[in-house]
Amino acid sequence: MAEKKYSGVRESKPGRINDLGGSSKIIEEDFKKGCLKRADRSFSQGLQCQQINSMAALMSLEDAVFVSHSPQGCVGCTIMAVDMYRVGQAHRGIKNIKNPRIIVTNLDQKSVVFGGENKLKESVKKAVERYNPKVIFIYASCASGIIGDDIDAIASELQKEYESAIIVPIHCEGFKSKVCASGFDAAFLSINKYILKGEKQPKQKGLVNLFAPTTVSYADQLEMERMLELIGAKVNYIPFYSSLEKIKQIPAAEASTSICKVFADEFMKTLWEDYEIPYSHTVMPIGIRNTDKWYRGIAKVLGKEKEVEKIIEKEHERIEPLVKKIRNRLEGKRVFICGGTGRSFAAAALIDDFGMKLVGLETPTYDDDAQVDIEYLNKIHKDFVVDIANMQPFEQVNLINKLKPDAFIGVPEWTAKFGIPTTHVLDGKRPTMGYDGLLYLGNKIADQLENPGFNKKLSKHVKLPYKDSWYEEDAFKYIV
Amino acid sequence: MSQILENPRGGCVLAGVNSVLCAIDKVCPVYHSGPGCCMQTTAAEQGQSGHKSGCFVSGVSLPSSNMLEKEVVFGGLEKLRTTIQGAVDIIDADAYFVLTGCTAGIIGDDIENVTDEFRAKGVNVYPIDTPGFAGDSNLGYEIVWNTMIDRVIEKDVPKDDKLVNIFGIIPYHDPFWSGSLEEIDRILSKLGLKVNTFFTKHQNIDVIRKCSGAALNIIINPWIFKGPAKKFEEKFGVPSLRYSGNPIGATDTTEFVRAVAEALKIDNELVERVIEEEEDYVYSYLGQAIGVLSWKRFAVVADATNAIGITRYLANDYSFTPVLVVISEPIYREEDKQRIIERITKLEYARPPKVVFTADQFEINETILSEEEDITLLVGSTNEREVASLKGIQFITAAFPINERLIFNRTYTGYRGSLTFTEDIYDNN
Repeated sequence: MAEKKYSGVRESKPGRINDLGGSSKIIEEDFKKGCLKRADRSFSQGLQCQQINSMAALMSLEDAVFVSHSPQGCVGCTIMAVDMYRVGQAHRGIKNIKNPRIIVTNLDQKSVVFGGENKLKESVKKAVERYNPKVIFIYASCASGIIGDDIDAIASELQKEYESAIIVPIHCEGFKSKVCASGFDAAFLSINKYILKGEKQPKQKGLVNLFAPTTVSYADQLEMERMLELIGAKVNYIPFYSSLEKIKQIPAAEASTSICKVFADEFMKTLWEDYEIPYSHTVMPIGIRNTDKWYRGIAKVLGKEKEVEKIIEKEHERIEPLVKKIRNRLEGKRVFICGGTGRSFAAAALIDDFGMKLVGLETPTYDDDAQVDIEYLNKIHKDFVVDIANMQPFEQVNLINKLKPDAFIGVPEWTAKFGIPTTHVLDGKRPTMGYDGLLYLGNKIADQLENPGFNKKLSKHVKLPYKDSWYEEDAFKYIV
Repeated sequence: MSQILENPRGGCVLAGVNSVLCAIDKVCPVYHSGPGCCMQTTAAEQGQSGHKSGCFVSGVSLPSSNMLEKEVVFGGLEKLRTTIQGAVDIIDADAYFVLTGCTAGIIGDDIENVTDEFRAKGVNVYPIDTPGFAGDSNLGYEIVWNTMIDRVIEKDVPKDDKLVNIFGIIPYHDPFWSGSLEEIDRILSKLGLKVNTFFTKHQNIDVIRKCSGAALNIIINPWIFKGPAKKFEEKFGVPSLRYSGNPIGATDTTEFVRAVAEALKIDNELVERVIEEEEDYVYSYLGQAIGVLSWKRFAVVADATNAIGITRYLANDYSFTPVLVVISEPIYREEDKQRIIERITKLEYARPPKVVFTADQFEINETILSEEEDITLLVGSTNEREVASLKGIQFITAAFPINERLIFNRTYTGYRGSLTFTEDIYDNN
């Protein structure tokens, strides 16, 4: 019990590294020996702050108002989650599509000097008067944190005044972490503290918490639910596109699992500690290997090992001939992958199904979880380059220019300008998960390789902003 | 003084500054800010403006010092120094602008000392020290131009009596900005003018340096750019002409053309010939689709310049009936409000609509829902789709923020833009 409570900041975990570059073999060895040092970049490009993730994680909860205790700019990225929420409603057949209710306190010069307490109080008052919501989330910002506004104290004072809504402050100050996934943890820590409160509930038979971030399409939700129902589970799909009632049901579950590797992974540990809910934390279910792994993981927790093997066998029978067709189109092609922690490793695993060669992998953090994946990948592929970076396109383009892959999987914006075929593994509006996700992605890659005209022509007209001399330098020059 | 706002339109001043700079060819902003500001500010403006974003650098390709706890406590100037050095070493820009986020602003990092060091070495690195909490993105547009006037634009540039500068159409804060600038450029070019749009035609920092040689600053906006216009005239002797509202359609565009022509004393025969050609172009199309839109009673929710343009076109040129106009950006000066009201309510034949000023989404929705008069068409931003659907009326997105359509060079401005606008209003349902 002496163990310190998790703070929600991902860097607080020993051995977790955000700035690193080099050979996959050497990195695997160094990690084993404990030689990987925490570093920094003396030059870098923009990151994604944790506040963005805290907001995105909850923005589709239907009974909520979201108060951002910040200047106006800090709700900029909500547009991505808002868009997912709107499109999500359309996919679910809703006619009158709602906007999420986001109120920004709009901290200004006066607040910076005198504090923003009154603006926060006024904003919460507006939230209650306008919508009488069941829950109000208050998000901290860099500004509110540095000027020292005590959002916990203000929230608890407001809670006494407004009993109808649960008021949940979230400590997602951007400066606290370089890893945006910390923002998911900050949101879940507060959900546990203010909504679930450690109160145990009688278990509901077969109920499984399925944690999903905003980037999961409705088609994927249905597929994940179908798979879990096949092994007898009743799914509590949270927090994307759910409600306070579903959140409150979390402690009644018999098991938990998540669609994304860095979403609710820490929270599922907490659920085990506080409510004795066993969980499965494996991989993102994209492609044959990963879907098997993910499916077996949760089946084991539910005691359905035998049942799941039968389903998996059937799925393999169905999928493998189709994969073979794609394999014929992709075998031996060299690929560079860039993505978030979950999707980048998922994509790296599934290219093996197609017989592709991994030449480079860019992913935001390295830790014992990543080590498992790298060990696996090192067994299949010859040495490849690993860039531990939250985007940093300047490093990416340097590596791409040297490695000259046949295909690129990830945000296409920069690599496309080299004329290299690009596809994205993150398509939150369409199906990408489960066994069929493999076909979807495989066909996309193969189609782009077959027909690369757009990028090829684009590259003749649009130049990247970097000097020619940069491409001659070591890509990891600025990691110090 | 910033107001509490529900679903605010656009970002902070930093977002505004960034988006304007990103629209200038080969200019690189460098952020001295927290780790999310590059994405947040890009998403707030460029991400809600028809899905196009700065091609040179934007979002996570913007250099940033990514200030974390260490910098908050000990100051971030050393991190800023290495960040600028890296940007200068690897990014092939003509000029670099160091911008501050809230973190740098609150802890009081003095960025000017650092940018001076670089300028002493002959690198074009300029400071813009306006942290996010200083205001909204509209202010950012003025801040950029104030900086240009103070530090970049050259004095004693030879005068060119055919050169004009266009202000007031804000890149990425108006989803149609590039198409609008192109249409204004096209029309003024026909009058024999050379047009600085600053944000199209790959115009770059050199064009800005020399823009003091212009004969006239044309401000197409009912309120923005008051301070910079005055400063510009005092320092460089360039007068301004304000045209209050985005000119949409033949009536207003012709009024705009005549105003410019008069200010620059352009040959009347040429002016009338251009007007005749352009109006003929518009009406030869309008004449081919009479009555297909039926007759609407409309409401508009938009920033001031577009609310004026849309209302006046639909009322004066298309004989739709204006009912309600909501100005959805904060307007602080009373004189500006009066000017906006006048432009919206002084119509040719149509009766004046109600004009409401609010940037708050709840208040906007309430205003529309509680309107007793019949409304059959709502022209607004993506945010108004919800209220239009609740009211069960026709809806078209024509103002910031727009994230449900991709917009390259589409515009509703000018003669030709009004045809596109009319096409978009058509609804077969």
